[in-house]
Amino acid sequence: METIGFISLTPCLIVLTVLLVRHKPFVRFVLPILFWIQLAAVVYVVAPLFQRNAVSLALTPDFKIDSLGSLFMTLTAFVTACAMSHARVFFEVEDARAGESYQFEHERIFYACAALFLLAMNFVFISDNLGFLWISIEATTLSSAALIYYGRTKHTLEATWKYLVVCSVGIAFALFGTILLFASSQHGAIEHGSLNLSELTAHADALEFRLLRLGYIFCLVGYGTKAGVFPLHSWLPDAHSEAPAPASAILSGALLNCALFAIWRLSQLVSAAHHEALATNLPLALGTVTALAASFFLIHQHGIKRLWAYSSIENVGIMLVAIGLSSGPLFFLQALNHSIAKVALFLLAGNIIQSAGTKNLADIRGLLQSAPSWAVLFAVAALAVTGAPPSGAFLSELLILLQAMDQKRFIVVISLIVALSISFIAVSVHVCRILFGSEKSNFAKLKPFSTSIVPALLVALSLLCGVTALPILLSKP
Amino acid sequence: MSFTPAEWSLIASATVAILMVGSLHVRVNLFGYCVLTVLISLATMFSAIDHHETSMFYLAGAIALLKGISIPLFLYWIIGKLKLGSDSGAVLSAPLAMHLNIGLTIMSYFLVSEFPVPLGELRTWVGAMAAISMVLTGIVLMLIRRLAISQIIGFLVLENGIYIFALTQTRGMPLIIEMGVVLDVLVGVMIAGLLMFRIQSSFEHIDVSKLTDLRD
Repeated sequence: METIGFISLTPCLIVLTVLLVRHKPFVRFVLPILFWIQLAAVVYVVAPLFQRNAVSLALTPDFKIDSLGSLFMTLTAFVTACAMSHARVFFEVEDARAGESYQFEHERIFYACAALFLLAMNFVFISDNLGFLWISIEATTLSSAALIYYGRTKHTLEATWKYLVVCSVGIAFALFGTILLFASSQHGAIEHGSLNLSELTAHADALEFRLLRLGYIFCLVGYGTKAGVFPLHSWLPDAHSEAPAPASAILSGALLNCALFAIWRLSQLVSAAHHEALATNLPLALGTVTALAASFFLIHQHGIKRLWAYSSIENVGIMLVAIGLSSGPLFFLQALNHSIAKVALFLLAGNIIQSAGTKNLADIRGLLQSAPSWAVLFAVAALAVTGAPPSGAFLSELLILLQAMDQKRFIVVISLIVALSISFIAVSVHVCRILFGSEKSNFAKLKPFSTSIVPALLVALSLLCGVTALPILLSKP
Repeated sequence: MSFTPAEWSLIASATVAILMVGSLHVRVNLFGYCVLTVLISLATMFSAIDHHETSMFYLAGAIALLKGISIPLFLYWIIGKLKLGSDSGAVLSAPLAMHLNIGLTIMSYFLVSEFPVPLGELRTWVGAMAAISMVLTGIVLMLIRRLAISQIIGFLVLENGIYIFALTQTRGMPLIIEMGVVLDVLVGVMIAGLLMFRIQSSFEHIDVSKLTDLRD
């Protein structure tokens, strides 16, 4: 219980600070630091798990941290801290652009909701109870709606409304699935039924299969909507492209992982009930179709952030394949590499949009000439996200393909290779157009050095992931 | 056929849901939602008496108070503020949709008979049928309405259907989780309500079918 309180402390402190303090420089200075403190708190909580090499750390009967959950929790806190540090620069530029009409109020709401959002995401990873898992995921939807609505324009309004309605309906199906899973435990497995995942896994053999199957499918559809699985992805490009850059970064780098993590938990439960075929075939099929569809969508894109949103959908497909191969480490590896590179990309895209004053890909040209530091970072991050060597994503995608080969999933392998190739070509073409060509928009203003710090750090980290992991890969027989 | 009081309440609530589809008036729809939620709360209370479970009394109270009264009052306030009259409807005309819904209810009867759960001691087919029928009604409502507020009402009906399913097909969902779900729904409706004001002030209507600026 203390641990849960400990994790919740900093986000609550952030909300309190926002509520009480109206001093602009203070808020902008202190809040990013608090987000880093939250990362430190999360690391402090999960460290014993790795020190003692334990499998899991029970907090209360319904909350526990297992090793995969702790990795994801750390990643989420890290990604959020990075995005929030950049948010400071982002808002300063916004402030300078808007001048007198700048609403500091909106910025404060943004920080407070980001803290609540982070808290809800943390609870997703520590919930050992399907009910709390559902509540946490719904809480992420509610708290992130305000992040998307930051711009207060017609378009952000439309995106927020779609996000709220589509995700809530999707999540309602997941609730239905959760109830079916609860019902499946009441037919002989556990006397009064249970939603506790450890308990369900322990009695997995005795779960009523037809209810379990139905429940799993409903949950897959429900949480899949939240993860942006094709064809339920309609909210995702709108929300990612209309949200301010730091929010898009968190949505893509952290929220999608949350929804996928819920699917992972359920797939593990179904596997434990010895219905591996169900737990592998469905995510594999959904993942492959999602990756393929998203790669085709990447070809014709008109918005810079929509491009990265579809690339996120493609990566969700790849992660779903990793889940279908029931490989937790590969799932995390792909999530890690995708999150780091994609956060850098969204933050850079935010810089470019602020500077060029347009989201339209056709109007963004000649970045290399006018902002070389952004251009280099942008190119490297784009390569990293498409899985080109030596980035980390190359390794994780290669390993996923190899694993799929091992399991004789040839259709999946071929489709994934096609999807990855198409998306690589599509993204390369779009990025080349942005980098080269004659300058159409004026990048001259609003380019402080500080806008490159966080993206540079993330790009370096992404390369580091690839380079350091390479010897480990090569040393394996 | 002799039904228990809980089953009578559920049948009544499913009927009210179907009647809601037949009216395009926003206020009538909201009143229908209010009635059906109170009926569901009654059903919860009756089954609490049947099974001698005190925790379900709290749940019945929370549903009546939060979902049955607070949410409708909040939405009434919005309707008054935004001066909403009736929904213009989409795809299907209201009477036709209502008849379609009756068909869906009959279909849900057959779905229930295919349902994998042995229908034993609790004789739960009535409950299951009411639940599935109401989930389908909620989906129909969301599909054939244009106004944002009607979409919210449709979603609430859908969520009520899921709750009936939990009530009749399982024994004793943990109270804390049911409460968490109710709380999430409450917060969700609040946020959607606030967004509705914004939509009204920026677009001068709350016809969400016209929100189509964002596309590929």
